[in-house]
Amino acid sequence: MRPLDWWVLGASLVFIVAYGLWKSRRNATVNEYLLAGKTMPWYAMALSIMATQASAITFISTTGQAYIDGMRFVQFYFGLPLAMILLCVTAVPIFHRANVYTAYEYLETRFDAKTRLLVSIVFLISRGLAVGVALYAPAIVLTVIFGWPDSWTTALMGTLVVAYTTLGGVKAVTWTDFQQMLIMFVGLFVALGMAIAKLPDDVGLGGALSIAGAAGRLNAVVTRFDWNDQYNIWNGLFGGMFLMLAYFGTDQSQVQRYLTGKSVAQSRLSLLFNAVAKVPMQFFILLIGAMVFVFYTFERPPVSFNPSQEAKISAAAVEEYDRLFRERREAARGLLAGAVPPEGLREANRRLETFRRDAGAANDANYVFLTFVTQQLPAGAVGLIMAAIFAAAMSTISAEINSLATVSVVDVYRRFVKPGATDRHYLNASRAATVFWGLYAIATAGFGRNLDSLIVAVNKLGSYFYGGLLGVFILAFYFPRTGGTAAFLAVLAGEAAIFAAAWFTGVSFLWYNVIGAVVVVVTGAALARLFEKPA
Amino acid sequence: MIQRDPAEEPPPLAASWGRLYSAVACYLAALIALFWLFTRTYSR
Repeated sequence: MRPLDWWVLGASLVFIVAYGLWKSRRNATVNEYLLAGKTMPWYAMALSIMATQASAITFISTTGQAYIDGMRFVQFYFGLPLAMILLCVTAVPIFHRANVYTAYEYLETRFDAKTRLLVSIVFLISRGLAVGVALYAPAIVLTVIFGWPDSWTTALMGTLVVAYTTLGGVKAVTWTDFQQMLIMFVGLFVALGMAIAKLPDDVGLGGALSIAGAAGRLNAVVTRFDWNDQYNIWNGLFGGMFLMLAYFGTDQSQVQRYLTGKSVAQSRLSLLFNAVAKVPMQFFILLIGAMVFVFYTFERPPVSFNPSQEAKISAAAVEEYDRLFRERREAARGLLAGAVPPEGLREANRRLETFRRDAGAANDANYVFLTFVTQQLPAGAVGLIMAAIFAAAMSTISAEINSLATVSVVDVYRRFVKPGATDRHYLNASRAATVFWGLYAIATAGFGRNLDSLIVAVNKLGSYFYGGLLGVFILAFYFPRTGGTAAFLAVLAGEAAIFAAAWFTGVSFLWYNVIGAVVVVVTGAALARLFEKPA
Repeated sequence: MIQRDPAEEPPPLAASWGRLYSAVACYLAALIALFWLFTRTYSR
């Protein structure tokens, strides 16, 4: 990073945090602190929802995913617009009418206190496990750039996020998310533009697409169905829809974004904006990864993008790697000249990838984009993209900490530990809970170190719990005869089914959401007869 | 359990929420068709 990059990065971060704190300077009540007094316009919620989902992992890991595996990951998002429509019809008006702080508070009015507590605990466990991983992703950035220990960087980033989330509450989270998402959009366009501009003069965009396509990096739609394949159109549409329904409809880190809306219409518009914008945005992020792949077809990449792995590669291995790289480069040039068929490039690429794997250079997907940015982009652009990555990280972590604190205070502390205290007491408790979850995230961030692709790890982790959460809300909305005890037992059965599917079958994780939701609904409906709802 | 509010605020972009949802669903279908064409064109 050069001085201009530092200036761009520092100015962006200071501006975002200052703006968020200024917009949230008056938080006198719990309602203002946790729900922004229900005053948020749709565009602020829309970008906050998008920014909460788009973490640093989205930039770092998704581009690396396209580099290694192609663009088929985009299909994961095909179910999102359908999920948004269903939520606009169901969850948004129901939560607004119920006038709740959290989605789980609604479950008590619909079922009973024990079901609310169980589901709140499931959320706290699942989101608590993921928040550390989300904080770890930007640590990779600083580790690559400066070689700083990741424990320092997680502490630095965590402290900054905890400070503005604790002081400003949900308003600070939403308005900083808004600014952070704008910076991410600019960062994305700059990254894609630079990836294309850095290609050799005689290649051009058309040639780059031909090379990426021949190497299997433009596989945006895979129509062949396979239960065990994570990314094909069918798993994306159905499995993805269930995952997104659960994430946006039952995960408080997202529900809290649209509960701050002025009206049902404003909340609906914020979700529909995401329905329209999210899939193309993911497509462009993946296209950046595919273009980076083409760039490194002509420019020699390291054997491993992970610096610690690269340092262990022997000189003899490097020599063989150089030979295989030249072979692939010639195959790519031959493809453009019409002298080599696509299979020739595919085969040369396969040999190179097999060699990399055998040489111990696997698990470096998270480092590809960062290496490209820091080594290839001009001064200023590096700072801007770093600012976008940090903005993405902060927006996700702040929303997660904010929602964890909200559920801890509203669904556990206020309901079961200390009911009937003053509003001021709960406001202070919310601030204390925010600090607690921030410190917890910093303490657990190191677990991310052992994970391969962070984007896959985070989604997989969510899928262990989301099916159960989704199922209980379907019961609440559509099965009026099901009472609290039946719903409570159904959630336990759903979670058991998900863990059984994960341990005893090879089914793709996207289907865990479907399995969990179906088991909860079927069990809840069946038990409704056994445990009659009191009249 | 789901009740429709007769005084529901209409969407700013279409005559009804139903039409807006249909437009989003059609948009998704068009997007997938476009991506499929993209895949077919370049993945030989």
